[in-house]
Amino acid sequence: MTASLSERLLLARLRNREEAAFNEVVRLHGDKVFNLVLRMVGNRSEAEDIAQEVFVTLFKSIDTFRGESQFTTWLLRIAANHSKNRIKYLSRRPTDREGLDAMPESVLADHGRGPMHGHVRAPDAVLESAQVDDMMQKAISTLAEDHRLLLVLRDIEELSYEEICEITGLPDGTVKSRLHRARMALKEYLEDKRE
Amino acid sequence: MTTPTDTHGRVQDSFSAYLDGELAAPDKALVEQHLAACLQCRTHLEQLRRTLGSLGSLKRKAPPTFLPDIQRQIFTRSSGRFFGQRWRLFGKIPFEWLSMAMIVAMLAYYILTQHGAPTSVSPTP
Repeated sequence: MTASLSERLLLARLRNREEAAFNEVVRLHGDKVFNLVLRMVGNRSEAEDIAQEVFVTLFKSIDTFRGESQFTTWLLRIAANHSKNRIKYLSRRPTDREGLDAMPESVLADHGRGPMHGHVRAPDAVLESAQVDDMMQKAISTLAEDHRLLLVLRDIEELSYEEICEITGLPDGTVKSRLHRARMALKEYLEDKRE
Repeated sequence: MTTPTDTHGRVQDSFSAYLDGELAAPDKALVEQHLAACLQCRTHLEQLRRTLGSLGSLKRKAPPTFLPDIQRQIFTRSSGRFFGQRWRLFGKIPFEWLSMAMIVAMLAYYILTQHGAPTSVSPTP
């Protein structure tokens, strides 16, 4: 995999522990990592914690990145592994989804946004969007962890099959068949809820 | 012999590949031929399309405090080696200009003390 010149320069600066380079990487990839983790664990405060941990890991272990894959897929693999570990940890612990964490994600996303931060959405639209978001997140959470990861990578993050194979380490055929099963399971769940 | 149920199953198994545009032309033609005649499979395909369409809207941005929070974590875990306020302050001081000013000041002081000051004249007897 050939990295672009700008990416190679950024990586070299990152290996020298240049703080500005690290800030640049967080600016470039922060949203993608956060959203992947959020959709995997389905809980905003957990997601913030894990996504931060992903970048701390990146800062510590950038020397282990040998450039055999794309930098983005390497970073998303770290994010996927951290998410899976946290899901395992949380499944062994009684969950507490009270308070803010239980609120639909899109409601939280609109909190604190004034007119200076873009458009103002009508309360009905916010609520409706929040309900759809909440329903979709619940549906995703019913999937097995490896199916969930494939669905998030392909249908939310819109990565190519090649990138997904790099992140998961699975062969192309396995990715496609598992993804199909995940999509059909999600469809069945949502259709049941709509009826 | 292929039963109608087998056909539905086979077509529905191709839905993901069909929607991703990954089916070979003959397979795609077979799926479309079946869909044209089968309301049940058309309904399933529309439901799947709707589901995938909803997933595309599930993108959220990291919170505004995301970067400062990570910097704080690295600062703490590296015992202040990275992302410290002290180092940021040092980065803002123009050391090159300060050094130059110091050199000029010392040079001026040297010239004044060696050449500018009146030489002591011993009184004539």
